Amino acid sequence: MANTKTDEKLQKIAKELLESGEANLFIGYTKGSNPQRMRPVFITKPEEAEKLSFSRHAVQDLAVFLKKQEVKKFGKIGIAVKGCDEKAVNTLIQEYQISRDDIKIIGMQCNGVIKQNLADKGETEVSEYTVYDKCLICREHTPVLYDFLIETEEPELSLSGNVKPYAEIEKLESMSAEEKNAFWAQEFDKCIKCYACRQACPLCYCSRCIVEKNMPQWIDTNSEETGNAQWNLIRAYHLSGRCIGCGECERACPVNIPLMLINEKMAKDVYNLFGYKSGLDINAKPVFGVFSESDFNDFIK
Amino acid sequence: MARIGVFVCWCGSNIAGTVDVEKVREEAAKIPGVVSAVDYKYMCSDPGQNSLRNVIKEKNLTGVVLAACSPHMHENTFRKAAVKEGLNPYFVEIANIREQVSWVHEDKERATAKAVDLMKMMVEKVKRDRPIEDVRVPLNKKALVIGGGIAGIQAALDIANGGVEVILVEKEPSIGGRMIQLDETFPTLDCSSCIMTPKMVEANQHPNIKLYTYSEIEDVSGYIGNFKIKIRKKTKSVVEKDCTGCGECWNACPMHKNVKSEFNLNLSERTAIYVPFPQAVPLIPVLDRSVCLHYKKGGKCQKCLDACGPKCIDFSLQDEIIEETVGAIVASTGYDLMDTSMYGEYGYGKFKDVVSGLQFERLLSASGPTEGVIKRPSDGKTPQTIVFVQCVGSRDPEKGVPYCSKVCCMYTAKHAKLFAHKVHGSQSYVFYIDIRSTSKGYEEFVRGAMEQDGAVYLRGRVSKIYEDDGKLIVKGADTLSGNQVEIAADMVVLATGVLPKKGSDKLAQMLGISYDKYGFLTESHPKLRPAESSTAGIFLAGMAQGPRDIPESVVSGSAAASKILGLFSKSEYEVEGTIANVNEATCVACFYCQRVCAYSAISRKEIKDRSGKLIKVVANVNPGLCTGCGACVNACFSKSIDVKGFMDDQIYAEIKSLAV
Repeated sequence: MANTKTDEKLQKIAKELLESGEANLFIGYTKGSNPQRMRPVFITKPEEAEKLSFSRHAVQDLAVFLKKQEVKKFGKIGIAVKGCDEKAVNTLIQEYQISRDDIKIIGMQCNGVIKQNLADKGETEVSEYTVYDKCLICREHTPVLYDFLIETEEPELSLSGNVKPYAEIEKLESMSAEEKNAFWAQEFDKCIKCYACRQACPLCYCSRCIVEKNMPQWIDTNSEETGNAQWNLIRAYHLSGRCIGCGECERACPVNIPLMLINEKMAKDVYNLFGYKSGLDINAKPVFGVFSESDFNDFIK
Repeated sequence: MARIGVFVCWCGSNIAGTVDVEKVREEAAKIPGVVSAVDYKYMCSDPGQNSLRNVIKEKNLTGVVLAACSPHMHENTFRKAAVKEGLNPYFVEIANIREQVSWVHEDKERATAKAVDLMKMMVEKVKRDRPIEDVRVPLNKKALVIGGGIAGIQAALDIANGGVEVILVEKEPSIGGRMIQLDETFPTLDCSSCIMTPKMVEANQHPNIKLYTYSEIEDVSGYIGNFKIKIRKKTKSVVEKDCTGCGECWNACPMHKNVKSEFNLNLSERTAIYVPFPQAVPLIPVLDRSVCLHYKKGGKCQKCLDACGPKCIDFSLQDEIIEETVGAIVASTGYDLMDTSMYGEYGYGKFKDVVSGLQFERLLSASGPTEGVIKRPSDGKTPQTIVFVQCVGSRDPEKGVPYCSKVCCMYTAKHAKLFAHKVHGSQSYVFYIDIRSTSKGYEEFVRGAMEQDGAVYLRGRVSKIYEDDGKLIVKGADTLSGNQVEIAADMVVLATGVLPKKGSDKLAQMLGISYDKYGFLTESHPKLRPAESSTAGIFLAGMAQGPRDIPESVVSGSAAASKILGLFSKSEYEVEGTIANVNEATCVACFYCQRVCAYSAISRKEIKDRSGKLIKVVANVNPGLCTGCGACVNACFSKSIDVKGFMDDQIYAEIKSLAV
């Protein structure tokens, strides 16, 4: 398939960054063997920049690779990111995992990516019925922070309002505590503790996850009721006020636990209670790290 | 193998009355690893401690659990006893079955069950205790005193006389605080400035005291032994070393009728360049740029400079920031008066002749605006009848504050006496709620005001004050006779309640010490540690802690000083070893710990290899600053921080011990 204008711009920038030494490694997308899929590519030589591509099938959040030691060792890195994924880069900078000076952000303007399962069945049109829920609520079609911006050639996503993103959250909110508990018990029952959610998450960067702490073993590792609930809840807590909503955990989950329902609900609560949205400002104080006299405390009885 | 001894204390009937101590002992004996279980009437007594020591020796114990009172009470006692038998002090654990059990529960069976649980938890914890060494922090033997009132001056002088350098910082242009504003002092009626000025001069001339007036604390960081202080020395626009205090400048200043004197509480005027009062220490004027014509009129006026012999006025001088390192701090920031104009019925602020107690002090004072002759602010006439109203703002939870301002009963009696002495044939009336005169010579003093000086004391409140034909008509109740009274007075003096100094809460936040809901600085322990703040190395003195009179302020200043001299008598300060500890192998340097640390105890540490190449960055705990509060432990996603003595496996074992 021929290069689009977007591809050409992207390849040019990556090539120049690699040539000038402003980046030793460039992380981006390339076309997969299946035209309806894009896969990550790691480029170190300027002449290989022509492999780079971007389209409505660029689903994966590439920021996840920034936490890998194999990537970190390159020092200066260039990365192509959509607005949603770019928020992960911001959070990694905010949490001192990467330095702003060491990263060149190529912001890919985006009007939504097609759900992989639909794409695999041949879907090629971007519409409110084919994109992810995160695209429907997206306010960062243009990334909030970038060194280079590549404008999109895609038409704007038109929303009729017929599709309600994360509709389940409202349903959950109306449930009693027992009903909620029953709902999640059923969902977590499926968990096989493969930790794919963690591996796919750009913000799960601990070198030793709490679940791997075995002196003492706070979280049961076997996949049964207690351990499953412990794992999924603690991950939700560790991501509250941090999760940027890329949806990779849910996409990676082999047993289809609706993880984004938890993450989006937590993000909603954090915003309502503390007025904080994650991933928008590299200098913001994360809500987990701040005490304020004005914090709500009506839970203290 | 663990060899644990469990000691169950009766605390007389304090514990044994509600908890079946024998049952606790029996249950303890069943726990694997417990080789001795004893109950005793008073473990803290000498025989109790001796039995503890004997069991440690005879059974060769590796850990000790005391099921007794709060660790606040006797943890130290038992640790010391254990140390004498060669145990690490941190191998002593307390299960608090008094404050947390017997004193708060009634049902003996359930209380006993809870006591057993708490004891079990501590047995599991002590099995996993590791020896902990206390942390030693070097001491910078220099002290900072914030506030140059009587308490601060006393503290500074005592510390300086003990051979330690002191930095005394005062916000106002002169030291002396509130006491130098007073006329005479109860109950001896000696002149306040006569006893205060020698102290001020001594503080100024003391070789060990460095005085910064017209200066404020800008920033405080660090910890006991090593506080880093930034002081903003506001510019006086005067080159201090050249100034002789001759007074030519303020005599030449044309702004002599426009600015109210803060020192005289608006009862007189001052110039733009001024000393607050004639005995000011240091006797160096400050130039108030907010009112000075030089700054208002683009540099035209420089009459003060023209008059100045040594030409030491410099309009271009700027604030200076001075940095100091000290080992200990005294916060003696003093007090302000409440704004009583909110009591509309008393007419303060509306009627010129309704004044506050402190204003009346200035009217009595020989160095005051009326040179000691009592004159009404409205027309300058000497009043013949004065009504004193007590508890204005104090003891009034509705409109004022619920606490008693403590000094008002006494100073009102003093005012009545001085009024009678200065204006013969005059009459004073005092409306009061109760008379509080509990110190030495105080009750006699108040009696004297009534019996010798003829003050009429009326127990009741004033309902309204209004002006009528040059008089202030005071309407009130005399609850003892049951009558409504109406007095035509020439003046009314309100015993206005006291508040902590404005801005002392901000200072407290900077210092990292606690304060109560009114803003008074709080003691580490209200009875047993009254001179210490909640933060090690920071001490309290004077009215900043709450209402008190001069002798008490002096005592508190000396107490703070003696604490500091005691601290400085050692070469190092020992901090409890129960502080946070980073697992550098698993730390990913997200620094959430640093964000949540209230003590700024966490910093970045770079781990490098032999060639100097950076391997990784990790969090690092400053042992001098860490209090072991554990906020960082909670914040750490990867569980890479523990607090020594409260390690993860210990907490886990404690919880597990409760599982049936």
